[in-house]
Amino acid sequence: MPQTTIYSAPPRSPLVPIPGVATHEVARLFGRSAALAGVSLQVERGRMVALLGPNGAGKTTLLRILATSLRPTYGSALVDGIDVAERPELVRRRVAYLSHAAGLYDDLTAAENLRFAAVMLGCSDPADAAASALAAVGLAADADRRVRGLSAGMRRRLALGRLLLARPALLLLDEPYAALDADGIALVDRLIGRWRDDGATVLVASHQAERVTGAADGWARLAGGLLVEVGGAGVSVPAVEPASAPSGTGVPAAGTSR
Amino acid sequence: MRADLAIAWAIARKDALSEVRGRQAVGSTLFFAALVLLLFGFALGPDSRRLAEAAPGLLWLAIVFGGLLTVARLHQLETEDGALDELARYPIERRAIYVGKAVAGGAAMLVLGAVLLPVGAILYGLDLVAAGLALPLTLLLGAIGFAAAGTFYAGVTVRMRAREVMLPLLMLPVVAPLLLAGVKATGAALAGDPFGELAAWLQLLFAFDLVMLVAGAAGYGYLLEE
Amino acid sequence: MRSRVLGLVALLVLVIAAVNALFVVPSDLNQGDAQRLMYVHVPSAWLAYLSFGVTALAGLGYLWKRDLRLDAVAVSAAEIGVMFTAFAIWAGMMWGQPVWGVFWQWEDPRLTTTALLLALYVGYLLFRRLTDDPHRRAARAAVVGLVSAVDIPIVHFSVEWWRGLHQTATFLSPDTILNPPAPVPFRIALMSMIAAFTLVWAWLMIRRYQLARADMELEERARRSRVAAARHVAIAATPAEEAGR
Repeated sequence: MPQTTIYSAPPRSPLVPIPGVATHEVARLFGRSAALAGVSLQVERGRMVALLGPNGAGKTTLLRILATSLRPTYGSALVDGIDVAERPELVRRRVAYLSHAAGLYDDLTAAENLRFAAVMLGCSDPADAAASALAAVGLAADADRRVRGLSAGMRRRLALGRLLLARPALLLLDEPYAALDADGIALVDRLIGRWRDDGATVLVASHQAERVTGAADGWARLAGGLLVEVGGAGVSVPAVEPASAPSGTGVPAAGTSR
Repeated sequence: MRADLAIAWAIARKDALSEVRGRQAVGSTLFFAALVLLLFGFALGPDSRRLAEAAPGLLWLAIVFGGLLTVARLHQLETEDGALDELARYPIERRAIYVGKAVAGGAAMLVLGAVLLPVGAILYGLDLVAAGLALPLTLLLGAIGFAAAGTFYAGVTVRMRAREVMLPLLMLPVVAPLLLAGVKATGAALAGDPFGELAAWLQLLFAFDLVMLVAGAAGYGYLLEE
Repeated sequence: MRSRVLGLVALLVLVIAAVNALFVVPSDLNQGDAQRLMYVHVPSAWLAYLSFGVTALAGLGYLWKRDLRLDAVAVSAAEIGVMFTAFAIWAGMMWGQPVWGVFWQWEDPRLTTTALLLALYVGYLLFRRLTDDPHRRAARAAVVGLVSAVDIPIVHFSVEWWRGLHQTATFLSPDTILNPPAPVPFRIALMSMIAAFTLVWAWLMIRRYQLARADMELEERARRSRVAAARHVAIAATPAEEAGR
């Protein structure tokens, strides 16, 4: 590797662009702690894959990198062959992300929140799109209530409704069952089914393996920021030589400038 | 371009709506700024001639203090429930986010100024009517400039540790020319522009607005990445 | 090695220029020896502006090339600029005391502008310390530095006008020394001090830049070892993880 790599942005991804998701030794540090320590993972388009692992395994960090909310410190990630760090604006058009936080405005009503999101997503008829999304997540009756007064489960439903405003090619769902009642859980399963029928790729992160593995094609397990095992269909580790890992082996020599 | 403007407008509307509905926060800021005016009176009074002389400076300092809280709040709104992440993930131009937030900030600054002017007039014995249109024009240009710079620096500090102190620390030296020109223009307007310098100060304010808007819109896109 | 040669040359020129400015050039008729402070005030102020210009340009270059070495240039220039700004303010105050009778003369636009400059760039340096990721820090610092740089002319104009738009009185300011009427020995002394200071600046820049790069390499090494450590820990923990499942 040329000596300048520590100063310039990461080099082009060595991954072969494939439809779906591919990451190569993707790592992310927060200050001094490594939330992800080099994960290589490949998910075929149209598959549903469960991302398993305990709290702190790196599931959310991986999803946030794929959603362009975080830049990877090392490594690269492609969504449908597009590098998330190089062309985030293109990736954003294809990805929808359900995060832990609902990302809502407390002083706006449920309908206003979705209408705002619809405008941001470029829907041709925001009011109509918002109304049908609200109906789909069972919040039609609460359309004009301020979000501040909604329960955690209802906020979650509203965040799910926002995912229905666009037709994403990749869905990233972070603990989608959290805070939901039995009805809500059934709703999530129904929505996932709908997205799968549309041909979207779905990544579901959960610390409860039993809940998600039933519907999923395959699964990948993370622990301590690393991929520990993959199984089932549609998910694999892209073949790379272990020597090309960015971890510690490529420490630059000190004083290269002298 | 038209789509960008529509996005910016939607963001500004959303912020304004949140501001109007979350009345307590806006009300507290206005009250705080008015309180600052009152305290300046204690600090410099009770000689009313001296207060009237210092009034333009005191007014603008109160606007700056209230404005710092205002621009910070407009970005705080986004971080309460992780909405900023969501906003940054929409497939929209970053410029549009900046413009939308700056418009909302400018409107909030105008409200702040519109409240502080009469309060200052009462406390310091100023004749607002005699000053004529120059005063609202100064206020408008000042509000735009402060919102333009403030939106940029609020974006710089929004996700930072110690942002409460970093925002004023970074922003106050930058808005020093705005403070200076605002004070001078207000003073000239109140005195009937005896030296014919009002136009020059308004031009300076206008130049500040323009430079900050362009720089802010160009730079804002680099701030949201994490 | 070459920077050492530059350092020695800078030192030599500085000594010669300083001896000339302090002992050879006659003292000013009006201000006496206090005027000699201008020989450090003016070069310091010039280097402050030069530094901040370099910071802005290096920031722009970083945004274009995404090369952290340009960020190293930016931070070096900003730090050295802050040092020279503080020095210029100090010399200005020391000069103002005997000439005007006060340390802080509000009617001197140079002093007030320089004070704002100091505040702008101290803020820039503090801001840099609060971000960890090198590329994020470099990009944000670049835009902050650029906005500060475009603000400087406005600050300058506003303070200049503030002194009095309609006022024609000229104050004893550094301008009077640089004006053509100033005697030739004064101008030679000032120019040679500016040259000497600029050489010192160049030497400081090179050394500080080398330090910044060494710092970045150290930081990078720490980051990589963090990732490596996480890999070892995680791999070691895997069997237990599997067993506990």
